[in-house]
Parts: sequence; C-alpha cells; structure tokens
Amino acid sequence: MKTGSLAVKPGPVVAPPAITDADFRKFAEFFYRKTGIHFDDSKRYFVDKRLVERIESTGAENFRAWFVALRFETDGAELQQLVNIMTVNETYFFREAYQFDCLVNNMLDEVAARKRPGSRIRIWSIPSSTGEEPYSIAIYLLERWAKIDQYDVEILSSDIDTSVLKAAQRGIYSQRSVGNLPPQYLKKYFTPNGDNEWRISRDLVDSVEFSRVNLSEPTDTRRFRDIDVIFCRNLLIYFDDLSRRVAAEAMFDAMSPGGFICLGHSESMSRMSSLYTVRRFPDAMVYQKPLEA
Amino acid sequence: MGLKRQADAALHPVATRDYTRDLPGLIAQMSDVEVAVRRWAVRDLGSHPEAAAALGARLVVEADSSVRSALFSSLARLGGGDVVTAVLPLLRSEDPELRNGAIEVLSGLPDAVAPHIDALLCDGDSDVRIFTVNLLGDLHHIRVVAWLERVLMHDAAVNVVGAALEVLAEVGTDGSLPALRAVAQRFPDDAFIGFAVALAIERIGTP
Repeated sequence: MKTGSLAVKPGPVVAPPAITDADFRKFAEFFYRKTGIHFDDSKRYFVDKRLVERIESTGAENFRAWFVALRFETDGAELQQLVNIMTVNETYFFREAYQFDCLVNNMLDEVAARKRPGSRIRIWSIPSSTGEEPYSIAIYLLERWAKIDQYDVEILSSDIDTSVLKAAQRGIYSQRSVGNLPPQYLKKYFTPNGDNEWRISRDLVDSVEFSRVNLSEPTDTRRFRDIDVIFCRNLLIYFDDLSRRVAAEAMFDAMSPGGFICLGHSESMSRMSSLYTVRRFPDAMVYQKPLEA
Repeated sequence: MGLKRQADAALHPVATRDYTRDLPGLIAQMSDVEVAVRRWAVRDLGSHPEAAAALGARLVVEADSSVRSALFSSLARLGGGDVVTAVLPLLRSEDPELRNGAIEVLSGLPDAVAPHIDALLCDGDSDVRIFTVNLLGDLHHIRVVAWLERVLMHDAAVNVVGAALEVLAEVGTDGSLPALRAVAQRFPDDAFIGFAVALAIERIGTP
C-alpha cells in the first residue's frame, strides 16, 4: 500500500530498489542541508533501509524518480516522513544528560552571576512530552546545583499536546523511562506504583508549571518573558524551515539577555537563525542570546 | 528559595491590549527606538496581509539583525504576490543579509515567484542572474530543471552557468543531458565548466 503523497511515476518494483554510492551521497547532502542531520558511511545500512522503504511506499520506480519528486514536492510531506523515520525520538529521565551537567556546572552559575541572591531564575522546557525532561531538570537542580537555596528557580514546561501534559502531571512512569536514573534518585523521588511503574513525588510535580503552547503561535508565546535557560530538544527538527525560524524568534523574545538555549544533539541553531551566538562549555555546546540584545 | 511552586503563577498574564493593536499602530511601532518593540510589531504584522509593502519597505532601513530576521519571517508567513513584489528588489542589494533573506522568502513562494523567473534570468546584471539560480536551487517548482537548462543553453556569463551546473548536478534528470553536453561545447576552454559538467553527468547517473 502506498503511504506517501509524492507525485511519482509508478512502476513495477520487482526487487528492492538499489541505493548506489552516488545516491547515498546525493541524499546525505540534501538531508543535511534541510535538517542539519549528517549521515556518514557508518550509517549506510540504516539510511539505505529507510530510503528503500520510502521508495517502495511512494511507488517510485527507483531512487532517482523518488528523489526528484522529493526535491520538488510543494507540501513537504515526504520530507517530514523522512525526518520521522530517520530520527528515533523516545524520552526518558536524564536523556542527553551532558546538557544537564552543563546547566549545573556552567550555565546557571553564569546566569546567577548577573543576578542578586534571592532573585528569580526561570527555566523553560519545551516540549514537555510526558514530563521526563522538566523533572530531570528539577532533580539535577536539587541534587547537583550548590546554589539552589540562594535563588528562586521556576521551571516552566510546555507542549502542544494536552494529553501528554496530563500524563506529565500524573507523573507515572515505566521502568524503561526511569532506567537511566541513579538508584539513589529513584529511591528518593519515586515510589513504586504496581509491578513495573513508578510514581514521581508530588513535590516535583508541584515544582513544574505546565502549559499548552504552540511555538509557532505568537499569542501563545507572548506570556513567556525573562527566561534564563530554554531546553528545546528534538522538537524543531520536526518543523519546516519557516516554522523553525518563527520558533527561534519567539524564544529569542521570551529570553533574558544572555540567556541560554539547548537543542538536541543533531540540531543546529546556526542553521535556523543568526540571532544567537554559540557557547562552548566543557560539557556541551549551547546557544546564547547576546547580552546586549 | 529553591524550586518555586507552580501555584505562584510564574507566567506573565497577557493583557487584552496585546491583541487589539491595529495595523496603523503596528506599522508606526516598526519605527520605535526600542528594538524589542519593533520586533514585536513586526511579528504581529505577520498576521496582516495588507502589511506586505510596509514590511518590505522597512527591510531596507532597518539596521538591527533581529528585527530584520523577524521582518523576513513575517513576510514569509504572509506570502503571496505582494510579498514577492516587495522582496524581489532586494536581489539587487549590496547587503548579503538582505539578498539571502530575500532568496529564503522567495523560495517558499514558488507559485507567486514563478511568473518572475524568466525576466530575472534575462536581467542585465549577471549577479541578479546568479542569485536567481541560487533561488532556483531552493525553489519547489516543476519548471526548475527547465529554467536551469535554459541558463546552460543561453547565458553568456560563465559564473551564472557554473552556478546553474551546481544546482543541476543535484536536480537534473536524463533530459538534462543534451543541455549539459551543449554547455560543455559552448565553453570548451573553461576547465571549471568541463569539471562541473562531468560531475553533473556523474551525479545524474548516466554515462
């Protein structure tokens, strides 16, 4: 059954379409330019398998027919399908924890140095998904940031999907979701909920303000001001070019001068917007709103 | 101190006046001395189709990059023929930020920009023709390959042809081969063109 929307010339596919070296290079260059995701030869099997899947699903005769149709499609639907199958997006506690290390080792100290003790520091986690990221931030702050008692830290978290917001506020997680947590934190902040589930403490749930937000909608983001650190990981990759730019600009207006933004490991703000500067810390590379902005 | 409780309502309340700012008021605010005020006005004007000309006019006088970025985003959101009319002159700008921004906006408006491509490819300024070829590289339009092949067949400027070869190497088809062979004959002594033609033919995949 065809699952794509590309206007390709259908042809009889008697064997899986072959992906040549030149095809792979051509696709890798295009995909990098559109998404910033780089595939080298070590990912050849992974990429080829998915390309064949898309070629067959759209009914294209071969790679070239599929690629030309992809290249000139007007609605971006096939590119979106590609992004979906080329990225694996699952969420769990302490995912890509090097950025949380960077938060408590560098970013927050720099933010705090610009504020008086006792003043407010505001962190925004978007998308919240089912809550693993904002709660991970809360645990990191409580456990690993020495100055937590000197500042008033607000954690805001948003998602466009109200069902995941409800799940985040319920705070019940599978064993797989908490599998990356150090045992002492699991014991301290969770209680068993049946055989294979864990319930997060109400104190942590109460420490995060959840809200529904569409990053592409100015009236939704207008409420967010003076944010010092934004975690926006593995979200913009699913946006088209224009929506990505609009989101980058919305976050820029929501941030304090000198504020930081963390993207997913395969995302690059430099490809979306020139508003931010790159900051390289020992634990991670992040983006910063200029102090003078 | 420590983690704040959500009951403290951290989010900034949105005042009603934020939604009632009208077109003349927003256009006036594009000249405000405060960068943030200008940026917000520009972002809100992205919902006013009749603001296309004003947004385009502001681009050539706006000095702040963050406001320029918002101007381009709002123009791209609006789309349509008025935006194309407002942005096309920027292809002649000496400012690369304006040129690149214009190409980005135009590339997202294939149907509105298509009627202008033939004229742009005949422009007397070869730089404008190169920027038009750059635009074709990002334009999702069925005639892109035909426009590029026309450049190969007729444009006298080697830099324009070189730019077209670069794009055609990615998007060309078997049908592009005659134009590729023809351009090699038009510039027989130019090593770069020879190299670019060979690369394009290799990429297209037919010997």
